[in-house]
Amino acid sequence: MFDLSSKQAKIVFGLATLAIGFFLFFPLYWLVISSLKANAELYRVVPTPFPTMPSLEHFVRALTTGKLPMYLTNSLITSTCSAALVTLLALYAGFSFAKYRYIGRQPVMLFMLSAQMFPFGLLLISIYPLMSELNLLDTRPGLILSYIVFALPVSTYMLYSYFSQVPDELIDAARVDGASDLRIFHTIVIPISIPPIVTVFLYSFMWSWNDLLYSMTLITSEDKRTIGPGLLLTYLNEVNSDWGGAMAASLIASAPIVIAFMFLQRYFIQGVTAGAVK
Amino acid sequence: MAVIENNTLAYPVSPHANRGGLKAGQNRIGLLLLLPAALAFAAIILYPFLSALGLSLFEYTVEMMEPRYIGAENFVKIASDPDVWAAFFTTAIYVALTTAGTLVAGLGWALIMNQPFAGRGVLRSLSLLPWVLPSTVSAFIWGWIFNSRYGVLNAFLMELGLIDFPQAWLSTPQGAMLAVVLTKVWLSIPLFMSFFLAGLQSLDKEQIDAARVDGAGNWAVLRDHILPHLRPVLIIVVVLGVIGNLQQFDTIYALTGGGPVRATTVLSVEVYRRAFEQWDIGFASAVGVLWVCALLPPAFLYLRMLVKGN
Repeated sequence: MFDLSSKQAKIVFGLATLAIGFFLFFPLYWLVISSLKANAELYRVVPTPFPTMPSLEHFVRALTTGKLPMYLTNSLITSTCSAALVTLLALYAGFSFAKYRYIGRQPVMLFMLSAQMFPFGLLLISIYPLMSELNLLDTRPGLILSYIVFALPVSTYMLYSYFSQVPDELIDAARVDGASDLRIFHTIVIPISIPPIVTVFLYSFMWSWNDLLYSMTLITSEDKRTIGPGLLLTYLNEVNSDWGGAMAASLIASAPIVIAFMFLQRYFIQGVTAGAVK
Repeated sequence: MAVIENNTLAYPVSPHANRGGLKAGQNRIGLLLLLPAALAFAAIILYPFLSALGLSLFEYTVEMMEPRYIGAENFVKIASDPDVWAAFFTTAIYVALTTAGTLVAGLGWALIMNQPFAGRGVLRSLSLLPWVLPSTVSAFIWGWIFNSRYGVLNAFLMELGLIDFPQAWLSTPQGAMLAVVLTKVWLSIPLFMSFFLAGLQSLDKEQIDAARVDGAGNWAVLRDHILPHLRPVLIIVVVLGVIGNLQQFDTIYALTGGGPVRATTVLSVEVYRRAFEQWDIGFASAVGVLWVCALLPPAFLYLRMLVKGN
């Protein structure tokens, strides 16, 4: 796009690349490097740019002495369940919006989408007593249901945009053969929609995996706590700050979502930039 | 969406996209398919939203069994509460700085990542990482960089001779604001970059080549061709950025807890504290209502663009 044959252009371009690149990648580098430094090297006023004596002690400690494995398991359970629930709901709703023409379809859809802009913190004020009423406070089902807030609107819109592209002829042909709408959806439409479905699943999984606010408020007992508040309360509390442990635990907690994302990022970017709110 | 519809990266818009769909008789099935999501939406999103709006007219604190209707009294209290005004002011600064910072860095990085070079694909993928990290993790990373005793920022600035003593960044109002803003800018760059890259795909390269033949330099190409082309994406990214930044809670709470004192207490933190630390539900809801009002203009702009795009 830019012509970098002149020396001046090379310098400006190179400096911009270095500046933004440094800002973007140095924190990640520092996370990895710090997690590998033993405490003697970590707590130095003039830090070493890379570990002189790499050590896995923080990782071992995070996995053996802390409650990290339990937080990870809890996050895995709640995030998987809520992502499955959101995907299932969004699947049928998205298909309904894309392929049927009932009165009020577009206003209802826009209204649902605009709900993504209701402040999550404000919703929580009323979700809390609601969950308390239903006896779901401090339970996994309660948290899983609450996570619908984060991803249902955008997920529905993403699947709607995709299903809109499915040719009507495909559906009409199957209907002529006598197949029911549900059957057509399950046996013809869903099999050709795997990439967007996976995208939506990952999108809602990511929201719940990364959440701090809802989990911190709706879950009070430690054995159900997820990684967001779990990490915060374990590593940075009033009495101690274990930065090495925090860095190692951060890497462990980020691994599942980063790995999933790396495999699926192409679909993911398409889905999110096509119907994104956040 | 208008912005992306004519490039191949996003879903291609097929000629069937807006055609009649299925026949009228089948609409009952369509409504049936919508029902589960509509019920979930009504119960978990719409009802809590309306109920929170309603609670803003009630007094409801931790000592009370039932909320008591007090009309607009909460709003009268807010009008004379300097803490709430301060939260609005802090939010405005936070949203302005984060949105502007991400815009510059995100656009810059997208332009760089649009330039052909070896290893570009890998670098693009790696650029997305800050986006997917849990918010607590982002807060840890930046908290450690800004650490007053062992933080690499102090070491770096002292090495450059810009400061003489280590600074307790997170204990000063400006330092804490800088930290929460940089954290948010850092984790929003990937999303902004993705939007700009999607927009750049549909740029007419022949038009730029023609301009170059006419003697246009890099600045002229950027100013007269690239930026005008990106205008719609720019608008949507700013609107989405403002909406997201107005709502940001996790990284701020984990990094500073809204402090020192109240220096980084934005509206989200203010509402959370009033509701779940002081259990003054009615007052928190009233602040939340004003928060929603602040969100309305960008939300309206966004929806209008969406409708036009459809």
